[in-house]
Amino acid sequence: MKLKSNTALRGWFGRLRPTVQRRLKIAVPYSLTGILTLIVTYSVSDPPNWLIWFPFTALFVLLEFFAVEVNDRLLQSSSVMVAMTAGVIFAIQPDSDAMFAMALMGGMAMFTPLDFKEKRWFQPLANFGQFVMAGAVAGFLLDVNLGYLQNLTTANLVRVAVATALAALAYATVQSVLIRMAVKTVFGKDNLQPWSQMHILFLGQVAMGLLGGLIGAAYLIADREAVLVLTVGVYAIGHMSLYAFSQLRESHIGSIRGFVKTLEAKDMYTRGHTERVAVFAQMIGEELGFTGTQLEKVRWAALIHDLGKLAVPTELIRKRGRLDDEEYAEMQTHAHLVEEILAEVDFLQPMVEIASGHHSNFDGTGYGGRGHTEGETPSLEACIVGVADAFDAMTSARSYRMALSQQYAIRELRRHSGGQFHPDVVDAFEKALNKTGRNWGAPHVNDEEMARRLAEEPELTLRG
Amino acid sequence: MANWHPRAVTVVSWMFPFVAGGIGFYAATLATTDPFGIAVGVTVLAIGSLVEVATSNSGNRFTTGIAVAAAIPFVLTPESGRVDLAASIAIYGIGLAIVWALGLARGEKHVDVLPTLTRRFVGYVTYATVYSAMRVGAFADGSGGWLDLVPFGVALLAWIAVEVVLRAALVLRPGELPRAYLARSALHDLNVFLGLTLTGALFGELYPALGWWALPIALLPYSFAHSAFSRFQKTKVTYKQTIRALARIPEVSGLGVDGHADRTTELASAVGKEMGMGPAQVEDVEYAGLMHDIGRVSLNEPQIVRMGYTNGDIARWSAEIIAESPYLDRVAEHVRRQYESYRRPGEQTDPDVSIVSRIIKVTAAYDWQVHQQGLSPLQALENLHTGAAYEYDPEVVASVRRILEARGVLSPARA
Repeated sequence: MKLKSNTALRGWFGRLRPTVQRRLKIAVPYSLTGILTLIVTYSVSDPPNWLIWFPFTALFVLLEFFAVEVNDRLLQSSSVMVAMTAGVIFAIQPDSDAMFAMALMGGMAMFTPLDFKEKRWFQPLANFGQFVMAGAVAGFLLDVNLGYLQNLTTANLVRVAVATALAALAYATVQSVLIRMAVKTVFGKDNLQPWSQMHILFLGQVAMGLLGGLIGAAYLIADREAVLVLTVGVYAIGHMSLYAFSQLRESHIGSIRGFVKTLEAKDMYTRGHTERVAVFAQMIGEELGFTGTQLEKVRWAALIHDLGKLAVPTELIRKRGRLDDEEYAEMQTHAHLVEEILAEVDFLQPMVEIASGHHSNFDGTGYGGRGHTEGETPSLEACIVGVADAFDAMTSARSYRMALSQQYAIRELRRHSGGQFHPDVVDAFEKALNKTGRNWGAPHVNDEEMARRLAEEPELTLRG
Repeated sequence: MANWHPRAVTVVSWMFPFVAGGIGFYAATLATTDPFGIAVGVTVLAIGSLVEVATSNSGNRFTTGIAVAAAIPFVLTPESGRVDLAASIAIYGIGLAIVWALGLARGEKHVDVLPTLTRRFVGYVTYATVYSAMRVGAFADGSGGWLDLVPFGVALLAWIAVEVVLRAALVLRPGELPRAYLARSALHDLNVFLGLTLTGALFGELYPALGWWALPIALLPYSFAHSAFSRFQKTKVTYKQTIRALARIPEVSGLGVDGHADRTTELASAVGKEMGMGPAQVEDVEYAGLMHDIGRVSLNEPQIVRMGYTNGDIARWSAEIIAESPYLDRVAEHVRRQYESYRRPGEQTDPDVSIVSRIIKVTAAYDWQVHQQGLSPLQALENLHTGAAYEYDPEVVASVRRILEARGVLSPARA
């Protein structure tokens, strides 16, 4: 007798769309582990005082309802404060434990209004699992470290603070690991905006957890109801700080979008070019090991790299045929005109420096503004934008020639590697391009002369 | 109240430390709290008042001193006893006299320091007095039940009322903003004010039981609030800078008129305030003014050069450019319709055209006539009057006239 693999189940799974498969791969284990965690914690720890648990959980769910978008994929709320306040109170009060109480409270976070509205099933299930696990781990640490305290006074506040900080750290760590895993499995790297400033958010979560726990301890010591009422205000402050974070981020993205829209209004050819250069720059950055904020900087620099063209006469941008030397020089000034246009926009200054160097060459020649010193290699970021820009310039159609093929473009990049282009960046780009398996540009146009002739005499068609 | 003479401001300002400090020292003699406690309070209040908290651009100046002031009556309430009101007032009076001196030492002007400190002093004293008066009966058992917070809430409302009234009443600078606008802008940063007073109250509630342990616990939410406020401010600054940079683009690319957007916006903003708008709507006017000509960047599109364009086209292109930027999208509709006439002969005016659009229409026309056609302000205003009620909104034209009169640019000598 032999075990036969369950072809029926595998067949059923295999027939699902790949996106659904990837979601199931996360949702099922996460939610099952969540349920299991609830059962185990319920059996090993004392239930909480439900009269305290319910109002706290209501606040917890309320804060989750108002979670703010911190980037394209993540919502964050200040609910960790509530969980930790309740956790510390349950851990210290006799006849109750924090572990099950916090796990169950976490499980209540599975619903967000948007998920309801858009009838999503994946997010609630995955969130249920990761919140329950985070709550259980933090509650376990609180129980172990604080459960033996009989008589809480200011004398053992330091101990409470340390235990709370530990639990908050564990809570935030479990959440961030599980979320990263889920996002990586489900969304892959495609379409994923760089996660910038995640360290600030992480530290913010830990600090909020610490604050929540300390307030719980302070309430137990002071034994004043008024403190609990004021605590609601403290939760609101926590929420406000996250909201301010997301507003600031939104203003940055909105600002860049405003500039890109304006450039596109002036010059139709730029439409798509900036976006593609940003995609290429991000691919190179990821290949070179850039992460988070650093990656976002490169991406944003790529998005604004051509803004200087706003100050270059459109006839020049559009001109058919070769530019004469004077025109060419004027065209090249756009690289540093971006400095003039964005001089007063503070948050973009690091990106402006990169963008203004995108026509500087690796060997120190070329044009550029602040980001360029004659004879010196421009920054790695500027080189990335330069390569991405050159590649897209070759593989997209211009007013004076047709699009060239990807093979031709890479050959050109490699030919000028070490001179015009940074060799590491060219290598990284080639690798990244091979990974995507996509082909940019016109497949058969393999030389510059042919591309120009095709643009000038459109009736010529390609043979073969 | 007429605007004050600068010398009168200086004289009154020099009286401030003597009045406030005098009240403070007199109150100190009546206080039951020991002088050391009062000295600690004065020091903390003065230090707190040096820490500026970021606010939006409403002109409000908040410091951490507000949080300290909110905590003081709590701290000066002995277990189940009466608030030591005299000691609270002593701390406020002496503390603010020191803050006055520190402010002048740092080179601040009398005309800026005096209204703010007067407002603070009256506000603090009102808050402490109301808090102390409310702590009777059920609100005074001192056990820390939630009823304890009722006096705090009522006192806070009284304080806010004082802020609003004094903000509008204490106008010392010549040509300062209309009072209605000032009163509304006092409420503009209410979240900052509430965040500060709340952390103060939290400290006050915890202090009796925890002693100075209450400080680090209250400092944590405070730091969250502080960073949130500075982020809110940076958000505002980012939008402002972005819009200014965008507004300059037609000029940089040689397609716009130098300074037209800036000047139009300046006049439009003054009109908005003069017509009684609040800070949020005035901001809309400013953004719409700065953006109303951004569409000119499209002007050298070959097709447009060939076919020509109208003002309506520019308005439409401008609106299209900004419609997809968050935050700017809300002014896109104002920009789209800013070229439309007030009403055509024999027709009613279209109620869908916002007052913001109408203000931009009038102020842009005024600036165009003065700076492009070389008319005098008086001639330009005459033209606006001729078109009033048909081309231009008569109320906006009247407002422009009042502003130009106040600025004294209508003298025939300039014509």
